[in-house]
Amino acid sequence: MEHLNQLFVEAGTLMLAGMIFVFTFLGLMIIFINVVLTRLAVKFPDKVIQTKPARSKQKTTQKIDGISPQMVAAITSAVTQYRKQHNQNLSINKTK
Amino acid sequence: MDSLNKLWLSTGLANFEQGQVIMMIVGCLLLYLAIARKFEPLLLLPMGFGAILTNIPGAGFSEVGGFLYYIYHGGIETGIFPLIIFMGVGAMTDFGALIANPKTLFLGAAAQLGIFATLFGAIALNAVPGIEFTLKDASAIAIIGGADGPTAIFLATKLAPELLGAIAVAAYSYMALVPIIQPPIMRALTTEDERKIEMAQLRPVAKIEKVVFPLGVLLMTIFFLPTATPLVGMFCLGNLMRECGVVDRLSATAQNELINITTIFLGLGVGSKLSADAFLNVETLGILALGAVAFSIGTASGVLMAKGMNKICKEKVNPLIGAAGVSAVPMAARVANKVGLEANPHNFLLMHAMGPNVAGVLGSAVAAGILLALVG
Repeated sequence: MEHLNQLFVEAGTLMLAGMIFVFTFLGLMIIFINVVLTRLAVKFPDKVIQTKPARSKQKTTQKIDGISPQMVAAITSAVTQYRKQHNQNLSINKTK
Repeated sequence: MDSLNKLWLSTGLANFEQGQVIMMIVGCLLLYLAIARKFEPLLLLPMGFGAILTNIPGAGFSEVGGFLYYIYHGGIETGIFPLIIFMGVGAMTDFGALIANPKTLFLGAAAQLGIFATLFGAIALNAVPGIEFTLKDASAIAIIGGADGPTAIFLATKLAPELLGAIAVAAYSYMALVPIIQPPIMRALTTEDERKIEMAQLRPVAKIEKVVFPLGVLLMTIFFLPTATPLVGMFCLGNLMRECGVVDRLSATAQNELINITTIFLGLGVGSKLSADAFLNVETLGILALGAVAFSIGTASGVLMAKGMNKICKEKVNPLIGAAGVSAVPMAARVANKVGLEANPHNFLLMHAMGPNVAGVLGSAVAAGILLALVG
């Protein structure tokens, strides 16, 4: 029994020391990230690769048959919504 | 007649012992879990097959000169296989989420309570007749709470090689059961409103940060915890190969072919330790029970830590991501995401949960280093 008690004390010490160390170590890592890495990121930012605007993009901004792309997008979303509602109604009717 | 008798005596049927049959059934059970239930199949399949091979009477797979004997002593006892796996895991890990939100490291740290609290449980089990765990045994068992297979195997081979089979089976089984063990604990410890918390979008992380991070981690480990450098060092090597961008071939090998080959041998080697005399005892039952306790405590402490952080920090953290602090990458992060989506279908927590998830990998490696330094 005494041996068991001693083991418990050792386990308790290990737990306390272990948790304190884990928190300290990972806490230091937080400081490292906040102090060193973020400064490095400001000093050496990623190179922004300049890309020419894609042709397809130009096309989408052009009017198709006199209708602007915004109009096309609005009509598409309206049709999708209508179909969704319509389908839902159908499925409700089916379950009924 | 004499040669017939001799032939009969050389068959498996004549030489089977009860323990070997039971262990073969255990091996088949592992194969079933891997194939039918898809529980960590990459490891449980070779492990189950290894258990069958090692228990074949007269084949001598695990005796001196046997195939599995050399795999175990050459790759596992030396710690080579778990370390190669760790390098592969490092090559697969993206620390971006962690660097973008470094305070999630505290969630990974809190979840390590599962490891240290289980130490108590293992020592308490000494009160049960037939169980006698030393502090070394208890430490090796406790690492199951880290939910990190290679770390558990690495530490078990150093501290309690005779318990390796049971510890590896428990660690991988519970890692597969993360989606079942964690959600009830996460729901019990959080309110509906807390689960709905939406987190701020993560900042973009520069390449230089990702390259310097593994070097910084290694440097800190060298300074403060050299006993953890085998694990952390290999992990950082894999991660550096991934992030530096100049050794894509090595990185691809580490995270594909090399880790796959090593996993086959690691599984077979661990399976070779599933012999009747080492596995069929009360201690194994105790280890399996303690594994579940370790996972649960780790999950709970991660969630509670996140709740505590919400009381102090301005920027809110969804407490569900605290559960991802137990490693089990990426399963635990997926579970956090899934439970979060149940509460708020527009709340995707996966990237946020990857922060504490990879912090958990580092945390469990640090915990293993502490146990090695203090008990080993």
